[in-house]
Amino acid sequence: MVATFLSYWSGRPARRFDGWSVAAILICLLILGPILALWLTALGDSRGLWGHLVSTVLPRYVVNTLLLMLGVGVLSVFFGVSTAWVITRYSFPAKRIFEWLLLLPAAIPAYIIAYTYTDFLEYAGPVQSLLRDLFGWQRPADYWFPEIRSLGGAVLVMASVLYPYIYMVTRIAFRLTPASLFEIALVHDKSQFWSVGLPLARPAITAGLALVLMEVVSDFGTVEYFAVETITLGIFNVWLGMNNIVAAAQMSLLGFVFILSLLGLELYARSRQRFAGNGKSTLELQPLDLGLKGRIACQAVCALPLLLGFVIPVGVLLKFVLGNPVTDQLGQVIDTVGATILMAGAAALLIVAVSMLLVLAATYRGGIVVRRLTMAASSGYAIPGTMLAIGVLIFAGVVDRAWGGLVGDPRATLLLGGGGILLTAYLVRFQAVGYGALMSGIRRLPDNMMNASRCLGHGFGPSLRLVILPLLRGSMLAGGLLCFVDIMKELPITLLLRPFDFETLATYTYQFAKDEMLETAALPALMIVVAGLVPVILMNNMLRRAG
Amino acid sequence: MHVATATPKAKPKAQVAARRATGRLITWAAACLTALFIGGGPVMAAAAEINIYSHRQQFLLQPFLDAFTAETGIRTRVVYASKGLAQRLLAEGEASPADVILTVDIARLSEYADLDLLAPVDSPVLAANVPAHLRAADNRWFALSTRARLVATSVDRVAEGAIADIEDLADPQWQGRICSRKGSHVYNRALMASVIAANGAEAAEAWADGMVANFARKPQGNDRAQAKAIFEGQCDVAIMNHYYYGNMLYGDKPEQKDWAGAIRLVFTNQNGRGTHVNISGGGMARHSPNPEAARRFLEFLTTPVAQQLYGEVNFEYPVNPAVAPGGVLASWGDFKRDELAIESLATLAPDAQMIIDRVGW
Repeated sequence: MVATFLSYWSGRPARRFDGWSVAAILICLLILGPILALWLTALGDSRGLWGHLVSTVLPRYVVNTLLLMLGVGVLSVFFGVSTAWVITRYSFPAKRIFEWLLLLPAAIPAYIIAYTYTDFLEYAGPVQSLLRDLFGWQRPADYWFPEIRSLGGAVLVMASVLYPYIYMVTRIAFRLTPASLFEIALVHDKSQFWSVGLPLARPAITAGLALVLMEVVSDFGTVEYFAVETITLGIFNVWLGMNNIVAAAQMSLLGFVFILSLLGLELYARSRQRFAGNGKSTLELQPLDLGLKGRIACQAVCALPLLLGFVIPVGVLLKFVLGNPVTDQLGQVIDTVGATILMAGAAALLIVAVSMLLVLAATYRGGIVVRRLTMAASSGYAIPGTMLAIGVLIFAGVVDRAWGGLVGDPRATLLLGGGGILLTAYLVRFQAVGYGALMSGIRRLPDNMMNASRCLGHGFGPSLRLVILPLLRGSMLAGGLLCFVDIMKELPITLLLRPFDFETLATYTYQFAKDEMLETAALPALMIVVAGLVPVILMNNMLRRAG
Repeated sequence: MHVATATPKAKPKAQVAARRATGRLITWAAACLTALFIGGGPVMAAAAEINIYSHRQQFLLQPFLDAFTAETGIRTRVVYASKGLAQRLLAEGEASPADVILTVDIARLSEYADLDLLAPVDSPVLAANVPAHLRAADNRWFALSTRARLVATSVDRVAEGAIADIEDLADPQWQGRICSRKGSHVYNRALMASVIAANGAEAAEAWADGMVANFARKPQGNDRAQAKAIFEGQCDVAIMNHYYYGNMLYGDKPEQKDWAGAIRLVFTNQNGRGTHVNISGGGMARHSPNPEAARRFLEFLTTPVAQQLYGEVNFEYPVNPAVAPGGVLASWGDFKRDELAIESLATLAPDAQMIIDRVGW
């Protein structure tokens, strides 16, 4: 009775529009503007192209996209959840090193991995050469070898760099699960993983999986290189091949619908479930020791994704860097590192701040409108980067024309031409990353946290500052790091929207990798990994303290 | 209980310090963001500067920019992107800082023209240096170099003369022996358009269908990757742009010399319409803030110095009739080019893409 009263009184969900709601709605509209611009473009006349598309390539695009999503989804959940479980629940040698090593593949762009794997597994690569030497084969016709430039290859490559999204959030979820629940499972002779760990971590796993699948749908670099005909590849054929931006916008919204329906399904499935702990385990969770075989098994579980997502690709890059003189390239690469870190850091900061505002407004302040809007504002992640960039361009064009009219100078710009448009685009695209991390963090806080603080006489603001924000520190860090790494390796948006003479490591790498000049691309690609290393280590240390 | 430690009275000094630190962090972050917005904002171009939107990679462009700045003292700034620059210009409208657009493939050039993003440039220098069939009738774009798309065959496994015309690729004798990059790439789309122009849509589609049936593997990689596939024995015949051969043969990558050594170039259709040729080119942006400097840059690119540079940097053929292909290009000898009006490649591009979709190239 008292609890019901308190939950009503704390304003969850509040039905009034206060400053928080208004700010949240305004920001959501800013973020949704470019997406809306794309929808409006899609309303145009596609000149009857759909008949042609449906009868020729579209079924193939859709099937390939679904298969790719399914494959990457299954494999990355397997990698992410198994490693997170093993790391939280068991003790084994080198566990502390694996703990952060497992985050590293997140720093490598999928398309870079695609290049390195092709080099590694193709006919002239070390694997096939070794096999030929071993078995005395002479020609390709003498033996069968799986083709890396295929759907299966794309699944492998993408899952091995995308699983950290799941690993990271799932690990926090496992760690924050009260130890007492695991003990209850033990007492009742139930599986700790299947009856406690997995169900309680489900919101986190879903949040991670949603990010992974959105990356899959919007990926262009990998599928182009592997010639896997997905919807995104089709968008570019329609847009650039048939000069039909309308049909291209329509197709990107098709991919978008894929994601939304998936998310809707999951939301529906868990709409009646809600789990909350107080954010701190009262009992310290004791990692289990499984004996020698178990320890080796744990290490193997951690080593596999690490090998696939980090050791092999970085090995190939290192081979190129060490095998080629790089000194004349070094100065330029170092300049680029600085620009990349500055841009990615500023954007990550912006995104975490905005996500925090939206999450707090949606959880404690706004009604259904605010909650729906903040969710919709995360949808930019599911749109292929280049198409989203075009949405941002159209939106910025409208804003700047209004601005130019206001100040009476048609050449005056607010967003276009500087770093502003790039920051806006990053916000629209990666808002989902920050929002997802913070939302899954706040979902784990019981309602009575806020209520108790309000009962004790603190206002909403002080309650946030003293109670809620400190409890969300880990989620803020996770979201910020994911954004930073994501932005650092982001390619299509940066390419199209950057100011003059501005290079990030990703764009600098791309101009060479595009021409299959892997030797020249290797050093900057390696620098992306190195630059990603520092935040990964930092973050892991903080997570350990926060968790 | 954790919350107890977070009540204000527990550690007032630490709280105040933390709040101050947070405040400072936020101020600092806000300052950084503001600096990025404003500092990165459009710097109104000084007179001695041009801004270039380029589809060509920076490292291919840089030698030209260096030579231009050395000669004129005009500084250059570049945004390089392979996709979407037309949309960027469109969105920027009158506020666009771009002066010059550089791109490859005639279809892309005419896309800029169709969207009314280019300004006509009336320059006697350009008129003299670029033949009429390699520039727009209204002088809104100019070809700056030409490239031949031709057939490469294995030195070891294909007899010289076994392939003479591009049409031969549909012959069933090449079943399982042809490699290509994806059909939707601009180079292949333009080639497809040239076949439509020469033989009609129906015959062109039958040709593409037959050729796709002959593919040794799913279309993938760039043109260089096709030479590599011939070297490795995956296929015997490939389609490629001529300059990849020069880049491989005279580049500094030893393994690529081997790939080039494994192939023989076939300038196709020498007894008929000639080899399909595409262009790289450029034009002045419609709202160029520095039209005078932009014109000078375009003119510079057609001068003998720059025209030779196209051959030296990337083994491309000059457009300026007064400039003979130098060095390596000269050693390959002259060849007959398809004299099809270059703009029809752009007009036929959507039809070409449809055929490519249908045959699954």
